[in-house]
Amino acid sequence: MKKIKIMTMVIAVGLCFAACDDMFEPAIENQGDLETRLKEPSYAQGLIGSAYASLPYSYQGAPTSDLATDDAVHNDPADNYARMATGSWASNNDPLSQWTDRYAAIQYTNLMLESADKVKWADSLALRTMFADHFKGEAYGMRALQMFYLLRAHAGLVGGELLGVPIHEASEDGASNFNVERPSYSDCVAFMLADLDKAMELLPFEDGNITAEQLPEKYKKIGGVVDQYNRAFGDHMIGRVNGKICEALKSQILLYAASPAYAKSGYTWEQAAQAAAAVLKHIGGINGLDPNGHTYYCNKDELKNLTAVKDPKEIIWRGDVQNINTLESDNYPPSILGNGRVNPTQNFVDAFPMLNGYPISDNNSGYDPKNPYVGRDPRLALYVVLNESTQGSEGKTIVTGVYGDNADALNRENKKSTRTGYYLRKLLRDDINLNTGTNQNHYVARIRYTEIFLNYAEACNEAYGPTGEQGGCGSAYQVIKKIRERAGICANTNDPYLKDIADANDKAKMRELIRNERRIELCFEGHRFYDLRRWSTTENILPELTATAGGMEISKDASSGALIYKKIEVDPRAYTGTSIYGPIPYSEIMKFGNLKQNDGWR
Amino acid sequence: MKKTILIALAMVIGCGYGYAQDEQFKDTIPVMFGNSVLNETLGGVSAINMEALTEKNYNTYAGDNLQGYVGGYNGNSLWGLDDALVLIDGVPRDINNVKPDEIATITFLKGAQAVVLYGSSGAKGVILITTKRGKEGALKIDVRANTGWNFAKSFPEYLGSAEYMSAYNQARVNDGLSPLYSDNDLYNYSSGINPYRYPNVNFYTSDYIKKSFNRSEITAELSGGSKYAKYYANVGFYRQGDMLNFGEAENDYTQRFNVRGNVDLNLNDWITAAVDANVSFYDQKTPAGANFWEAAATFRPNRVSPLIPVDYIDPNAIGAWNMINETDNIFGGCFLGGTLLDKTNVFADFYAAGKSKWTSRQFQFDTTLNFDLSKITKGLSFHTQFGLDYRTSYTTSFNNEYASYEPTWANYQGRDVIVALNNNETLDKKSGIQNVSGSTDDQVISFNAHLDYNRTFNEDHNVSAMVLANGYQLSESGEYHKISNANLGVMAAYNYQNRYFANFSGAIVHSARLAEGHREAFSPSLSLGWNIAKDFLQDTAVDLLMLSASGSILNTDYGIDEFYMHKGTFTQDKNTWWGWREGVANNPTISERGANEDLTFLKRKEFSINLKGSFWNQMLTADVSFFTNMMDGGVISATSMYPIYFKTYYPNSSFIPYMNYNRDTRTGVDFSVNFQKKWDDFYFKAGINGTYYTTNANRRDDTEIADAYQKREGHAIDAIWGYECLGYFKDADDVANSPSQNALSGNVKPGDLKYKDQNNDGIIDSKDQIDLGKGAWYGSPLTLGLNITAKYKNFTLFLLATGGFGGKAVKNNSYWWIDGDDKYSAVVRGAWTPETASTATYPRLTTGDGSNNFQNSTYWLYKTDRFDLAKVQLTYDFPTEWFTNKWVSGMSAFVNGSNLLTIAKEKDILEMNVGSAPQTRFYSLGVKVSF
Repeated sequence: MKKIKIMTMVIAVGLCFAACDDMFEPAIENQGDLETRLKEPSYAQGLIGSAYASLPYSYQGAPTSDLATDDAVHNDPADNYARMATGSWASNNDPLSQWTDRYAAIQYTNLMLESADKVKWADSLALRTMFADHFKGEAYGMRALQMFYLLRAHAGLVGGELLGVPIHEASEDGASNFNVERPSYSDCVAFMLADLDKAMELLPFEDGNITAEQLPEKYKKIGGVVDQYNRAFGDHMIGRVNGKICEALKSQILLYAASPAYAKSGYTWEQAAQAAAAVLKHIGGINGLDPNGHTYYCNKDELKNLTAVKDPKEIIWRGDVQNINTLESDNYPPSILGNGRVNPTQNFVDAFPMLNGYPISDNNSGYDPKNPYVGRDPRLALYVVLNESTQGSEGKTIVTGVYGDNADALNRENKKSTRTGYYLRKLLRDDINLNTGTNQNHYVARIRYTEIFLNYAEACNEAYGPTGEQGGCGSAYQVIKKIRERAGICANTNDPYLKDIADANDKAKMRELIRNERRIELCFEGHRFYDLRRWSTTENILPELTATAGGMEISKDASSGALIYKKIEVDPRAYTGTSIYGPIPYSEIMKFGNLKQNDGWR
Repeated sequence: MKKTILIALAMVIGCGYGYAQDEQFKDTIPVMFGNSVLNETLGGVSAINMEALTEKNYNTYAGDNLQGYVGGYNGNSLWGLDDALVLIDGVPRDINNVKPDEIATITFLKGAQAVVLYGSSGAKGVILITTKRGKEGALKIDVRANTGWNFAKSFPEYLGSAEYMSAYNQARVNDGLSPLYSDNDLYNYSSGINPYRYPNVNFYTSDYIKKSFNRSEITAELSGGSKYAKYYANVGFYRQGDMLNFGEAENDYTQRFNVRGNVDLNLNDWITAAVDANVSFYDQKTPAGANFWEAAATFRPNRVSPLIPVDYIDPNAIGAWNMINETDNIFGGCFLGGTLLDKTNVFADFYAAGKSKWTSRQFQFDTTLNFDLSKITKGLSFHTQFGLDYRTSYTTSFNNEYASYEPTWANYQGRDVIVALNNNETLDKKSGIQNVSGSTDDQVISFNAHLDYNRTFNEDHNVSAMVLANGYQLSESGEYHKISNANLGVMAAYNYQNRYFANFSGAIVHSARLAEGHREAFSPSLSLGWNIAKDFLQDTAVDLLMLSASGSILNTDYGIDEFYMHKGTFTQDKNTWWGWREGVANNPTISERGANEDLTFLKRKEFSINLKGSFWNQMLTADVSFFTNMMDGGVISATSMYPIYFKTYYPNSSFIPYMNYNRDTRTGVDFSVNFQKKWDDFYFKAGINGTYYTTNANRRDDTEIADAYQKREGHAIDAIWGYECLGYFKDADDVANSPSQNALSGNVKPGDLKYKDQNNDGIIDSKDQIDLGKGAWYGSPLTLGLNITAKYKNFTLFLLATGGFGGKAVKNNSYWWIDGDDKYSAVVRGAWTPETASTATYPRLTTGDGSNNFQNSTYWLYKTDRFDLAKVQLTYDFPTEWFTNKWVSGMSAFVNGSNLLTIAKEKDILEMNVGSAPQTRFYSLGVKVSF
């Protein structure tokens, strides 16, 4: 070999005035193995960054799985969610699969956990401990979060037994045993709860600067001072996983575990109610409900001045503020240069009660099918662009009726026009002009207090009935009443429909109402698809899960000019009993024999 | 010619040549690092004498139909291996940057034994192009002037507005929607009463397209020299027009100017030198904005009237007139039409969006030194070559925005008038600034040096040997890493009385892409030959009968696409961001890949046999090769051995190592047979040649595939995978009672394609795709070439035909796969409806995405078998006696037709380009004058 080296040197001389990089030795790249990287704290911290970068919240807040429910259809038939809803959902074609990104994130959180104590985050022991605590705490919280989303997408029945997904307590390498069996769902829940407890022990309830008196005892003991604490846990860390978020995650996890689809886990509604109450107690229960929380995405003044240190009252966790128009560009009607992507369905529109609080199907509602949008819950017009309402910075009137003279009309222009007679309004702002390309502030609401209120109401009703109260945050009745008040329903009438249910202590009717409020309040934020599933069992699936997505064709009577409303069918929802649980990815089943597929999937 | 002879003597290396040349070679052909005597080559080599060929066959592109002259090259690859290396005068260069009239020979180094000394980069075959050089003698000037016209072979046919709209209505009805266009609309569009109000845009008319466009070329060659210095120069210019004839496209052109020159010097009685240089200037001018041919395949006829006469505007429409008076963009009395959803279009772009010019400059330089070292040891010589090439390219453009206007029409007393215009907030904007974009700067440095030994002992024992160092490096702008080749070589050859031959060649290849300690490998090659004629067939009709066999193992880093692929590293992913509050954006730390220090070279293992013969004093020559090779150790990311979450795209993270795994085999034969005979005034020559090969994915990682028929292993490398189509769904019951096709589309209806459930699982999905045939990615499985030369007195007739057989393709472009808002081509006329179910030739129309029908399947499959009459040329050489003692020493003229005729079952498909400029037939004439 030595001769070769010498001879290659001869060639090197021949090319001496050329840069010889890549000829004999590769040009240097900034590379190193993990041990090397851990010497640089910014690199080491970047391990948890991988989990942040792939958080399971939709990109820029765009609706995703909602497009595969009875709430909305997509106007492009090639959309993945549209395709899965109409029958393409399979273990080798699963747009909702979390397997890859969640387990990858768990791998990095595990690397973070294993590395945090090895990294020299700072010179002083106290500060080093504080940083290590923060990153480990985040990693535990993150790991539980990943597991929750894995379970939601992949847990299921195997031979009638409710199984979760493999638990990864340590990072893996090429030599790890990947061919492992799935633990039970309840084992997974226990694992997540334990992780969250560890996280809450290590993390403050909220990050933010403190005064010297507030310095935790454990850091005083090792000689820490408040300036150090503020470096590790201060204002500049606000927005990262904290105790508050972990607490909210517990509420989400236990609500799912108590739900019919996962009831075999053994967790109870009472536990779910208590977990939600724990979150709500911090804001004083019912009175802590943000009066503008249901329009958080378009509270203009709030959005204008939003800074990290001051979150809106509605928010438990959110993404950063971005000055963009992506959602509007996707979803505005075509006449104002949007692409009309997400089209809310007639099913969804019908879910909104009347202003008097009665469902439109109720005899007392006063619903007029000939004037279907009159006298309705104000949230309908807030969340859906209805025929002849306005949208955009210029306040343009949008005609979705077939009598319209532009592409806004029902089914007028392929992949531009609405297919249901409605366009999306929720999540969008109305002060964007796509023709000139203006941007406005947006953020992704990851966890909202409204969600936890609805978790609480649902669990309380199941555990104690409509008016029962154990959690210390009011009864289901009181919470729902408050939410409906906020929406502007029955401002002066004490919500007779709701009150009748409470008076009759009708748990079933209350359940229906809570579910409907949840559908409305949390619409297009990725809840509906999974809510419908957790409320179902394989023997008893909710009819909404397979209800055909409908629309409204509005035409104009030639002589009278009156509008004629005709309901139309738009897309099937091709789901079966097995599809209340998602599949394990086909490729993994093929590779790893011990990994069992959920019943009904292949 | 001392240099050539020196090298020729030095190199009796194991390389054969094909007998399939156009004109017989007198002595030697260029092969790797030298020249080879033709009869003593040991297989795996073919060559074309381009200098002779050009005299009777005018080409505009150096690589034109080369499969017509030799076996083993199929127009795409050598022996079916992809990525052959093109060397021009020994340096890796672009085949587009050498003109046919600059070339002396093209050698096809097909066999492993013929490329071994080139190291890694030559491992998949080499096309070695050698340019002309000066010859001793007085100054000789050849001037050629050629001009010709391109005529489109075929245009796709699209429906006009009324027919389109009615078919679209049918698609809507098929999807359960109401028709979009009313009977009144259909009447207005079909009547043609007002094509501006009811547009019917047809791209393929003389308004936009010329019948033909010209390409003209002039070349001057100068050569000559003395005993001490010889020179050659080639100065050329060509200009080519464009088929489009409106707006800025009227000024479209492509032009190239080049000067090539070389000088051979005898510095003293033992040193010779050569200096070569080539510089070329290439410009291509087009309108800015959309591409006409792409738009022609997508722009629906009824959407917009691109140009509307201003006369239609009501004189009282003050607002409209104000707009029109403000715009500069009035063309032939017309303003630019547009709508809110179609603000721009290709027609308006061509008139108003500006212009663009792509410029490319190349400079190529190389120099050679040869030392005759026979003073030291008899037969010893040393040769070295150094090359330096630069190329740069960039686009300059003027990009303008323009206003387009949507008219509001009214009808006053039976006359259509425009009562208002809406510009939809479009405005005329001319920046006046020249934009420069797409700049590239590339550089190639190349170097080789070899010490040669060649000697004959006792008249019978011919011995030769070589040691060699070879390298080159390509640096491209925007690429951090450079493409390099570095290798050493040794060669030792012996033959006894030119009767029994043995040749051993080997290369030590080096690759910086591999881990330290794994960067070198040895590539051996052994060839044996036997000239049977000398032993048994002396004094018979057999001039030559040479049998040779070769075995080789070549190492290459072609296929190791990146540097550090062996190394497990953590880094920051610069394309992914994470933050937790406003203004925080960091790059996450990710694993780039798992480690595999053992990642190594791919290996081409090959065995080949060659038999060549010459009979009746070269009246009949033949050359046949059999080859079988295996490309072993193809690099894969071993995804199926690890969980899927070991790799993610956002962040771009992977814990999976790369490994050598895949194995591809290729087996085939190639042949060339030439016949030539001369009678008094008549000369006739015919050559037929061909290549047949099969490929096999010999080893593949098929872990994730359950069904045996789906495994890739054992199938052709270029297999097309798709569904077996069972025809159309007859009715709703047929859909309901057949296996579910929901995985393909949620909207399967009668008239859609029905597929076979290969694995009988009741579901049609990708697991039901089968091998439909060879896609001929590396050229057709069977390629044939035929060339005929007939001379009578001063006339020469030349014919070239090529054929490709055994490949298949899928009708999958926008002409065939029509859905949603696509432009409707003529094929939709045969669309399925319940009434036409029995005669339908196309699935039901849909406004959806057609994802059920538009899948690879037997329905869309067609055979690409074809036979082409590629060239016919008639040349007349003016009688030499006319030129005695004149300053003009000779003259010839020709007429020529290229791409004249295709005979194929699927000719219509094969000749039609969709979304790009049409294929053309080219008719040209030219004159050559020698001084």
